[in-house]
Amino acid sequence: MTDKDLKFPPLHDRELRLLFDAAQQAAPEINAEFLERLQAQALGAVPRKGQLEFTTEKPSLFRRLSDVFTQRGGWLTGAGLAMAMVFGIFFGLNPPEAVLDVTTVYFQTESLSGFVGLSEEMGLYIGNT
Amino acid sequence: MPTFDDIQNQRDAELLARFSNGDRAAAMDLTSRLAPIVFAQAFRILGDRTESEDVTQESLVRLWKAAPDWQANRAKITTWLYRVTLNLCIDRLRKSNRNSGDVQEEVVDGTSSAERNLQTTERLQALQGALQTLPPRQKQAVILRHIEGLSNAEIADVFGISVEAVESLVSRGKRALASTLAPQRKALGLEDDR
Repeated sequence: MTDKDLKFPPLHDRELRLLFDAAQQAAPEINAEFLERLQAQALGAVPRKGQLEFTTEKPSLFRRLSDVFTQRGGWLTGAGLAMAMVFGIFFGLNPPEAVLDVTTVYFQTESLSGFVGLSEEMGLYIGNT
Repeated sequence: MPTFDDIQNQRDAELLARFSNGDRAAAMDLTSRLAPIVFAQAFRILGDRTESEDVTQESLVRLWKAAPDWQANRAKITTWLYRVTLNLCIDRLRKSNRNSGDVQEEVVDGTSSAERNLQTTERLQALQGALQTLPPRQKQAVILRHIEGLSNAEIADVFGISVEAVESLVSRGKRALASTLAPQRKALGLEDDR
């Protein structure tokens, strides 16, 4: 038995397609007020950025130093400390003459005991090393 | 070469990632894009505007909750939403002990319906009426395949069944529709289009 033998032969694919097209064209439209409510709800559900950072990120060394400086007087304090460190290193490598005399005497004596004659006066004794 | 669907899915995934990072604009964009899709699907299955809005709201709430743990290599966001929406609709149909909503009278808003011609409306109503006669699974498969435009693989993912099973559902559904609607061929102006 073929389709022609039926009183109402079934629709062909192309005919069904026309009906599906009609359904696609007539997509039920969402109410504008309802969409606004959904958007407000979505905004309320947005995770807060601060929460995520607190739970996932460990502050860097720079960040921690920055926090310390901020708590102890800000970057002015930090700059002062950095300057002092630079001068310290500079004097360590190229000490002024007055400083050089002291260090030469201190480190270039033949023995510490000779140098620390004062120690004997003070009743201290340091053996030759 | 990526298809339009692939690009759209990538864009959805990016928006969802931005949403998780606290981007409020992404929340607005995602809602504007996805809510109409979810609502249309729910309305075609339930046939009731209020219930469809409830389902839409619930589906999106679930998406927002899933967002922080969303993995880009998971299913497409729209496919995931189709599945969630379908399950919510089935729950509602079960609770109300009905197969599906009545034939929809208010399918489009007032402005749009005024512009549509009578034949389109008649075809739509005839199709809706015929869809109600199908078993629920066949009906849902036909809607997803031929009205929502999902691929068989995507429907298989939504239903959690094989692609072959989907093909069988859709095929049987279409055959049933073709027979049910056959007597209305002339009234629907299909003879003229052959």
